Amino acid sequence: MTGPFWSALGQTRTVLVASGVFASLLALTSWISPYPLSYFDVSFMASGGATTAIAAMGQTLVILSGGFDLSAGAVVSLVNAVLASQMNPMVFDASVPFWTMVGIGVGMAVGAFNGFFIAFLRLQPIVVTLATMFIVQGLTLLVLDKPGGFVSPSLGGVYMGDAIPNLLPSSVVLIGVVILLWLWLKRTRFGLALYAVGSDPDAAAATGIRTGPVIFATYVLAGGLYGLAGVFVSAQTGSGDPLVGNALLLPTFAAVVIGGTRLGGGKGGLIGTIFGAYILMVVVNILLSLNVSAYFSTIAESAVLLFAVLAGSLSKNSPLAQKLRSAQEYLKARRQGTLVSQRKQTDNRLAFAAGAPKSDTMAPGLLTRNAAMLRYTLPAFACLLIVLVITQAVLGNVFTSFRYWDALFVLCSFLAVLALGQGAVILTGGLDLSVPWTIGLSGILIAGMAQGANGALIYAIPIVLAVAIVVGTLNGLGVVALGLSPIVVTLAMNGLLQGLALLYSNGTPDGFAAPALRWIMTGEFLGFTPIIPILALFVAFAVLLLGRTAFGRRLYAIGNSEIAARLSGVNTGATLICVYVLSAICAALVGILLTGFSGQASLGMGDEYLLPSIAVVVVGGALITGGRGHYVGMFGGALLLTAMQTLLAGTTLPFAVRSVFFGLVILAAVIALREKRSI
Amino acid sequence: MFSITKSAVRLAAAASIAATCATAASAEKFDIYLSMSYIGNDWQAEAANMVKALASHENYADKINLKVQVAGPNAQRQIQQINAMVQAGADAIVVYPISPTALNSVVKNACDKGVTIIAYDGEISEPCAYNVTIDQLEAGRVTAEWLAEKMNGEGEVVMITGVPGTSVDAARTAAAKEVFEKHPGINVVGEAVGMWSQAVARTEMSKILATRDWSEIDGLWMQVGCFTANAMQLEAGIDAENLLPCAGEGSNGGRIQMLPAGTEVEGATLPYAPLDAPRISYASPPYSGALALKLAVDILEGKEVPDLTTLPLPVVTSETIQLCETGSWEEQKAGCNAFLPSLVSNPGWFASIYSQELPEVGLNAALVGQPEL
Repeated sequence: MTGPFWSALGQTRTVLVASGVFASLLALTSWISPYPLSYFDVSFMASGGATTAIAAMGQTLVILSGGFDLSAGAVVSLVNAVLASQMNPMVFDASVPFWTMVGIGVGMAVGAFNGFFIAFLRLQPIVVTLATMFIVQGLTLLVLDKPGGFVSPSLGGVYMGDAIPNLLPSSVVLIGVVILLWLWLKRTRFGLALYAVGSDPDAAAATGIRTGPVIFATYVLAGGLYGLAGVFVSAQTGSGDPLVGNALLLPTFAAVVIGGTRLGGGKGGLIGTIFGAYILMVVVNILLSLNVSAYFSTIAESAVLLFAVLAGSLSKNSPLAQKLRSAQEYLKARRQGTLVSQRKQTDNRLAFAAGAPKSDTMAPGLLTRNAAMLRYTLPAFACLLIVLVITQAVLGNVFTSFRYWDALFVLCSFLAVLALGQGAVILTGGLDLSVPWTIGLSGILIAGMAQGANGALIYAIPIVLAVAIVVGTLNGLGVVALGLSPIVVTLAMNGLLQGLALLYSNGTPDGFAAPALRWIMTGEFLGFTPIIPILALFVAFAVLLLGRTAFGRRLYAIGNSEIAARLSGVNTGATLICVYVLSAICAALVGILLTGFSGQASLGMGDEYLLPSIAVVVVGGALITGGRGHYVGMFGGALLLTAMQTLLAGTTLPFAVRSVFFGLVILAAVIALREKRSI
Repeated sequence: MFSITKSAVRLAAAASIAATCATAASAEKFDIYLSMSYIGNDWQAEAANMVKALASHENYADKINLKVQVAGPNAQRQIQQINAMVQAGADAIVVYPISPTALNSVVKNACDKGVTIIAYDGEISEPCAYNVTIDQLEAGRVTAEWLAEKMNGEGEVVMITGVPGTSVDAARTAAAKEVFEKHPGINVVGEAVGMWSQAVARTEMSKILATRDWSEIDGLWMQVGCFTANAMQLEAGIDAENLLPCAGEGSNGGRIQMLPAGTEVEGATLPYAPLDAPRISYASPPYSGALALKLAVDILEGKEVPDLTTLPLPVVTSETIQLCETGSWEEQKAGCNAFLPSLVSNPGWFASIYSQELPEVGLNAALVGQPEL
């Protein structure tokens, strides 16, 4: 494993691993399948996985540049809707090149929209693409409000057919053409600049690369690939469905990661991604052939994801190996008695520090000291004020009625609690995608154990929190000990928890929230809903935890630079694990609160909260790459999003328009947070 | 044109079955696969339980080999899954289609290979597929008409819809709005997306109620959420006699609330208790999957089955509500349509499980996947 040959392989190694995994899975499929794989089966598999593969290649470009694109799936749906609604149902031989260009063009237009805000206004990719995702989903429903429409069979004839009959399916040729373009692009100045920008944007700028145009072009190209994927789906299905691509988002990430591209940028490539996408597809066949119970399928997929990523990253320099070596060295030092903590604990501080004369300069005023904090927290509150005024004008009852405020605070309590957990993870530069099913599993556990009895809460709540601690610890260990990207670890954990929740509830969760829990969320205490004073305490706790404790300061230190933090003596590993535990506990609390609010738990009840939990944190002024943010701002973000949803729910605007509006507000909020160009 | 090819395919299928029957032992079973969508909600779980129960009933246990797979919300995955089922040698595939259109080409390909495809609840638009479903337009119209009548043709309506972008939601909502527009006195004052979930319905209703009092609403039209809406009115201090009329889903919680107040019901606790709530309750019946399986076997055995089976719309109103004692098929045949909370602990559980065609499955089938004896 350590020979010069192996290290010389360098970048191609991950591709080899991915292709090896794919080949062995394919061999396994054909071995366990009762019939030999015919050309037709292979051709069908090739076109079946092509949509995911093409969209994932676009995602790879963005990730190589150091970005992240949440709008990928939405663009696929939009292109499908545009083609299905615009093609003339009378014309059966519509021009394939023309409509392919239309699809790619629509995708590129959305990509240019993303690219403009990310490259030239220097906004954070996750937030911009999140806003774009909402806007595009709304537009798609405006173009096509339900499945239907018509896609000319000529498209299907070309993309689903054979390039060489009984030898080469067209889908393989299409992917081959994209690969050739990529191999050429990689060797151009743009390709070099793409990797440079992704590795270190500051260094790239310093060497004279104009990073703005490079990033812009990346999003446009990626948009074009999503558009091509949309054209392919249209050809494959022969009609339109406004939701067809939305579920593609997570598989594209999984494909990119399995294919060996590093989240964060600068390392990887498009070819590995293709194998990643086809690995995901072959797994479906294997689960079927082995007749794996439906409840285990998400668990099996998570296992494949983790296994593929680990197989791609194991080497003598991998974090796991480093951790094992440093543990060995720790034990050795301990035996020899040379550990720092084993030395004599004497005070070595220099004498003059204590008796230093007081400085003459004035202490800066409150505003000056908190200027940076205000700069990042005020936009959320300013937007909130605007939304409140509009609500008052359109619906009334805001400033005159207590009921509005009561409902606002109750509804925002879920996001406010999640914001602490997700916010802490984001402050360290990570992301917690296991939030949805931590919420779901916690809710199901608390309802299942309590069965409507208050007494049972005494043990049910600690058990649920203990489960959350285990979940958080495993997430943290995956990030720290295995050195995997937080997105991969928490995505796999989410699938695992989904499987566990299904197994525990056997598909239909039963039981009720205990009356005490219901009272907290829906009862009355001194005129308030009881959760409101609890929420006030929670907000105070969160502000103190992040702003006034050593733990909080370590968190910011890690977010700014993990290496600098470690060299300054912060136990980064332990702190990171604590952060993921905190996030899991917050998600579990939300599961408990939601169960109290609804009176019962349901599977999938956390699904609605993942993207809002990220949006709230970022709208509240946090930087997605970590190190900057304040809980007060995140709380403001939670209030803003809830107030806006309340405003929209009180109107009869179509859902499509609301979705566009929602996206625009998120975009407006982050534009207000824009940093001046640093020198 | 397609009916000719279809019967040709059927003949071919029958011939191939005849061939296998002739060569293999007479106990040869049909290989039938079930491709489900998401399994994260009660409806899907009940439908799957009923399919499994039917497959294990003595009438069917020796005839079929059933394998169940889940595609989740991803249509691409379902395409791949159906294709894998064809490769694995399926005789028939029962599908809960994630998209009515996205599956067309894979379904066409399966039909060409002589595999019978039958969809339940959602429809597949490819002509060679069989469909088992209710008339969603009728569901939207009947419920909206009932509500308009209850409100005497005037007042403020709040609508909680389903999953935007699906044909079922589009059909139901459009049909209901058409009815409301015919009554000049009726105004739709709030509309929110309920995602067919009681939990989402509650959050959305809370948002609407932040700026509007219960007294400013005269009627509720919800695809899912009447049970929750009634619970919220009780929490807000409204008497059970003054609950708003609600047109909505066929959950058992909602059905129990429709029983006359004071009815003795084992296991009932507020709000999952008789309230005499003014309701019309309807649902896409979860037995449609089991019926689809039954029809698939009929097709494989060479019986004549129509391309589209439209199920009778299961509508229950305060006049027709009746409590079951055990929930057996025989008892439901006699007309009962709500189940004891002591047996069905989850109020969101769908109660429209009776089909005249399916004496093999009763309450136990939907709850735990056990067929009737």
